[in-house]
Order: sequence, then structure tokens, then C-alpha cells
Amino acid sequence: MRCLKAFSLALVILVSAGMAEAWNRALPSEYGRVVIGNHSQRAGLAPVVFDHWVHRSRFTCRLCHVDIGFAMNAGATNITAATNRQGFYCGACHDGKKSFGGKKLFAACSEGLPKEESARCDRCHSLDKKVARDYEFAAFIEKLPKTALGNGINWEEAEAQGLIKPVDFLEGVSMKRSSLKAQKDFSVEVKASWIGEVIFSHRKHAVWNGCEVCHPEIFPSVQKGTTKYSMFQIIDGQYCGVCHDKVAFPIQACQRCHIKPVELGGGAPR
Amino acid sequence: MNKLKIALVVLVAAMFLSPTGNKGMLSPAGTAYAQDDWKAEFDVVCAKTQDPGVISSDELKELVARCDKLRLRIEKLDETQRKVYLKRLQMCKDLFAFVLESREKK
Repeated sequence: MRCLKAFSLALVILVSAGMAEAWNRALPSEYGRVVIGNHSQRAGLAPVVFDHWVHRSRFTCRLCHVDIGFAMNAGATNITAATNRQGFYCGACHDGKKSFGGKKLFAACSEGLPKEESARCDRCHSLDKKVARDYEFAAFIEKLPKTALGNGINWEEAEAQGLIKPVDFLEGVSMKRSSLKAQKDFSVEVKASWIGEVIFSHRKHAVWNGCEVCHPEIFPSVQKGTTKYSMFQIIDGQYCGVCHDKVAFPIQACQRCHIKPVELGGGAPR
Repeated sequence: MNKLKIALVVLVAAMFLSPTGNKGMLSPAGTAYAQDDWKAEFDVVCAKTQDPGVISSDELKELVARCDKLRLRIEKLDETQRKVYLKRLQMCKDLFAFVLESREKK
């Protein structure tokens, strides 16, 4: 029993040490940042720097990853100027006509733009460029509830307080859906005795993601106990790791998922 | 008689020129109308992903079949539309199949 505990502890230390580099890598303002360069350089442009936080503060995951169709992995969508021009992907919103929060959204860039308009391309095609942004991270987070890791923002709390109101519908793109039935949260047992059980907020995840972001691609089974999730797989980017540690809060925030208190003096690990 | 001919010509011309008069004909506008047809079906089918848990197994099977039929129509669209909508359709179909399979395993 003691050996097992010591082994578990050593494992956690090793894993944490291995992750330390990743932990320190991204600044809060850069956490979740995606660099997309499938075709940019061939077109003589810098790769696109996409600040995920700007969009997640305004839209649900489902709006972009289901309705608009952005893939969950960087570069996997294969966005081109032509697709944007046709009103898909970035062009679904960035068409120079739609507005958000009373502000007109700039049009995605396109080939053959006149010189005076080509500066518009730099707004997104900005890797290694000094580009003035319309948004500023420090000002944005000022009034939002904080957390230690990731973007440093407690997004769930921010929404609960009404500080952000992610939009879930885009005219002409989203289909009209009935209202979502509240999903029940559930617990996920853990093998180790030193960490609390996971209480999974199915409700919160369903509101942001709908069903089809997660099922069946990320979570192919819903039968309780059928799939054994391991932290190694999650660190490797599977299951929860598809979002957590990339754009959603990082896995080092153990207590955000392992919520159930550990029963002190409990018996053997399950 | 001549007046009748003129009236007929005017009527036919009006039908061709009217924005609502040529919907059923083979024209670019007519093609767009036919295309909207698949989009309407797509919207109806994929809107059902909102709460697939309450859909009966028979209806889920029907939805999977509708996805298969839609796929054939979407495959005929231009490259970009095909790419975007085939992926979205696949997500819908996979979810319906997933719920069905989960029920059968219970």
C-alpha cells in the first residue's frame, strides 16, 4: 500500500516535471494561440496568428467547431482565401458586412487586393510582425474572474456572472435548434486514493459544445466505466486533452476536475 | 387577334423577367432554389443533434438514412461547399449512430 502511494507520488512528480516546460511556455495572453500557415507563405504572407481567447469570449465552441466547421487541430481545416471569400470558415463572419457588438467585422483578406487595402491582411497574417490589434488582453481580463493557469481567466465563472455571453447562433450558418435539455453532471472514479473523484460538468460542456463536438469523436463511449481514461493519454492530447492544456484550462489545475474530497483514512484504492 | 398575340408575348416575357416567375425553370435562379432544397433538409436533420437522447431509436435510424441520402446530394456541390458540409453532415450522422449504438449496448 505504501509502495503504491510512493509510486503514485513519484509518478505525479515526474509527470509534473515533464510538463513544467509546457507550463511555463505560454503567456496568459498567448495561451491557446494557434498559428496557421497552410498556404500563407506560398501566397507571400506571414502565417496567421489566431488568438483563441478573443473568439471564445464571444462565441460558443459549437458555433465555430460545428456550425462553421473549424477542425479541432491547428491547420487541419485547410483554410484558403477562396473558402473565406465564399463565406466559409473565417469568411463566415469576416465578410466586411457583418458586425459584432455594434462594430463592423473586417473582411478576410483576399488575393489581388489593392495596395491600400492589403494592410488588412496583416491583421491576421501577423506571425513575427508588429501589428496593432483592436483588442488588448490586459484590458480585456481586467474585470474578469481570475485563475492561476492558462489564460488566467475563469471562463466558467465569467459566464456565470454574465461578464461574457458567448453567442451560439450565426444567421445563415447555424441551424435553428430547440433549446438544450439540461444534462446531468456525473462522477468519474479514479484509481488512486490520494486524489478526489472527477465530477464532470456535463451541463456546462453541453452548453458550450453541444453533443457533437465531443461525441463520438473525442469520447467514443458513454457507458460508465467502459473507457479507462489515463492522465498519460490526456497529456498526450486525447479525451479531455483535446481542449484542456491547449485552449481550455490546463490539466495542472487538478482541483478543477478532481473535485470530490478525498476520504481520509479510506481503504485500499479502487 | 394581333392584340391577343401581343398580350401573349408580353405575358411570356413578363414570366421570364419576373424574379418570382422563373423559380421552377432551369435557370441560375432555379439552380439556387434546388440547392436550397438540400440545405433545408440539412438544417432539419442536423438540428436534431440538439438532444438526440430523447429521439426514439426508429427515428434515429431514419435520421442516419436521411444523412446518407443527403451525402449523395452534397457530394455534387462545388469543392468548398462539399468539404464544409460533408464534415458537418458526418458529425451529425456519427452522433445519431453513436446514440443508437450506446442504446443497443445497454
